[in-house]
Amino acid sequence: MTHIVVDPVTRIEGHLRIEAEVDGGRVTDAWSSATMFRGIELILKGRDPRDAWAFTQRICGVCTTVHAIASIRAVENAIGAQPPQNARLLRNLIMAYQCVQDHVIHFYHLHALDWVDVVSALSADPAKTSALAESISDWPLSGTKYFAGVKGRLKTFVERGQLGPFANAYWGHPAYLLPPEANLMAVAHYLEALDWQRDVIRAHAILGGKNPHLQSFLVGGMATPIDLDRQASINDGSIEELRQLAAKAKDFVSKVYIPDLLAVASFYKAWAGVGGGVGNYLVYGDYPEDDGPNPPLFLPSGVLRNKDLSKVEKFDAAKITEHVKHSWYDYSSGDDKGIHPSQGETKPNYTGPTPPYEKLDGTAKYSWLKAPRYDGLPMEVGPLSRMLVAYASGHTRVKELVGDVLKKLGVGPEALFSTLGRVAARGIETLLLTEKIEGWIDQLAVNMHRRQLKIHDNSKWEPSTWPKEAMGVGFHEAPRGALGHWVHIVDGAIANYQCVVPSTWNAGPRDAQGRRGPYEEALLNTPVADPTKPIEILRTIHSFDPCIACGVHVVDARRNLLAKVRAV
Amino acid sequence: MTSTPSSSGNPGPGFRRPVRLLILGLGNVLCGDDGLGAVAIARLRARYETPEGMSILDGGTLGLSLLPYVEDAEKVILVDSIRAEAPPGSFVRLEGEEVGPAVAGRLSVHQVGVADLLDAARWRGRLPEELVLLGLVPETLEVGLTRSARVEAGLPGLVDRVVSEVSRLGFELHPRSHDAACDFDRSSDLARALGL
Repeated sequence: MTHIVVDPVTRIEGHLRIEAEVDGGRVTDAWSSATMFRGIELILKGRDPRDAWAFTQRICGVCTTVHAIASIRAVENAIGAQPPQNARLLRNLIMAYQCVQDHVIHFYHLHALDWVDVVSALSADPAKTSALAESISDWPLSGTKYFAGVKGRLKTFVERGQLGPFANAYWGHPAYLLPPEANLMAVAHYLEALDWQRDVIRAHAILGGKNPHLQSFLVGGMATPIDLDRQASINDGSIEELRQLAAKAKDFVSKVYIPDLLAVASFYKAWAGVGGGVGNYLVYGDYPEDDGPNPPLFLPSGVLRNKDLSKVEKFDAAKITEHVKHSWYDYSSGDDKGIHPSQGETKPNYTGPTPPYEKLDGTAKYSWLKAPRYDGLPMEVGPLSRMLVAYASGHTRVKELVGDVLKKLGVGPEALFSTLGRVAARGIETLLLTEKIEGWIDQLAVNMHRRQLKIHDNSKWEPSTWPKEAMGVGFHEAPRGALGHWVHIVDGAIANYQCVVPSTWNAGPRDAQGRRGPYEEALLNTPVADPTKPIEILRTIHSFDPCIACGVHVVDARRNLLAKVRAV
Repeated sequence: MTSTPSSSGNPGPGFRRPVRLLILGLGNVLCGDDGLGAVAIARLRARYETPEGMSILDGGTLGLSLLPYVEDAEKVILVDSIRAEAPPGSFVRLEGEEVGPAVAGRLSVHQVGVADLLDAARWRGRLPEELVLLGLVPETLEVGLTRSARVEAGLPGLVDRVVSEVSRLGFELHPRSHDAACDFDRSSDLARALGL
């Protein structure tokens, strides 16, 4: 038996440590340990709840909008504010763009290098690469000269030893299966995706005022004015630009991302049998399609147990608990029972070894993340959960898109419960949202022309209109999964604030009953060809798109070190 | 050329930089001294108007999402917390080739950070023509909205250094009139909420 330590896991946001036992070439047990951003509740205590989003927006650098949305929803829920239709549409657009950008960047910049061997691309034939690219898509950047240019640039950088973004990987590992031409095509698209994100950033700037941090969020609505006739607002010109940007986003996703995904997946079909995980899927649901309380959601909420697609359970927020038996915290009521986030406590109690250490004691506390559970069970959250719940709920377009992908890969729905399933679901969701965006823009345009310009419900703006004490929860389907903020307001000020973030659901440790978290469970039975180069572990962990940054305390991230891997 | 994204690396004949000088603050304002770059930016913006052709931004910890801003600028001044062999609060200035290695070891809450940003720009042949990193040595990165006393004491000097750097690069900042400083844009409300 070999004990593997991967610390830090590279190409993620934040700091994650994975330990695994490998026996007979397969993972037999695993532990996921992460540092934790603790203290947001201390920062927020006593503050004006209407300002909370500006703080939570900074919890994570990459998902700024998601913590802003969850926060304003929590406060609106507590004080009874109801954002008007235009605010709902603007928020849907902002959320969808964030999700689309995140998924594309994850695929090309964080995950692709687990499947694509950049160094192998150096031996690609540009003419054959062009033929390959033209066989899978009519994307215009596909000529021999173009790919020869990319290859030349790659060669220059490799020769100078400036691998830059492509440093830190197991180039030449036998687990890489793509032909050189597919590798070169992927490298080209990696670089194109960096250009593509400009359009998304531009769309966010139109919708949310200034970038890089959006400033148009407002409890009760939005602060982006909508007016046909005014320059400094969303007007006919901006609607037209949004339409063009949406079309370009869809173009790239349907002509580059999805074909690449299918091409890569077709070489790695074995990964449809790896990385299944806990088999329970939780979705809070998002993208309200109507106004008022309990609107229909474009991506429905629901719970699936035990990989059973025949029955979608209704989600009940009261069934969420967080455990700290294996987390570096203490609960005043003891560590053997989970507690609901609305009553959440964050009392750190670090009992781990002094870093740097060889090995964690998996029987004791071993992570800064808590272990969230739903009805006592570990739940996977994220794009796979969303697509499965939508699929099982009979969502027409999701069923079509999932069916298409399964057919093209020649696999059945059971293939979805896997590492490859997560990768595919992320792509399907991206396409789904790029299609949906246009409709929301159209609705916004219709409202504008009907002179329905309201963007903010200010009836609950003044704290004098609030109850003396109020509790609220804000749910959001962030790119990485179900996100919840819980706020407790007393006398107009924040008394308690708790966030349960997607990566806590997925990356959290064992609970009081000793049940593994989703990462830990997903690693079981993962093949590991070479314990000193566990690329297979990275594939499964990266398939969840870890973002521990909203978790991260502080990390000394020296990115030029290859992830430290030790086989003990 | 088509209107689709231009090629990798080679900036291409159509590529031009709309911003002449970008001043980009970095770091997380929720993590003590880590946020000193963002604080310096907020103070700079409160004191000076942003002239035409210049851009003054708080980039937070956005990593690769900042790439378009960096690539669009001819010259870039980064303002950040910098680990160095010097006491906390000490001023540090690096330029050109020195910047990359320094930010690679940057104390950061993000692994996908500034170094990746510069690498990506280099790969695409779009590194700014001139790159300067100004900052202070941090003392504490613990969660909290306040900076250490030494960093706080160094901040006014850092803002002045940014102003001199702007002049050295051939640009000029104009102080805001008193009235304008009170209400220049929505970011000032947020900066106030965040205690910047």
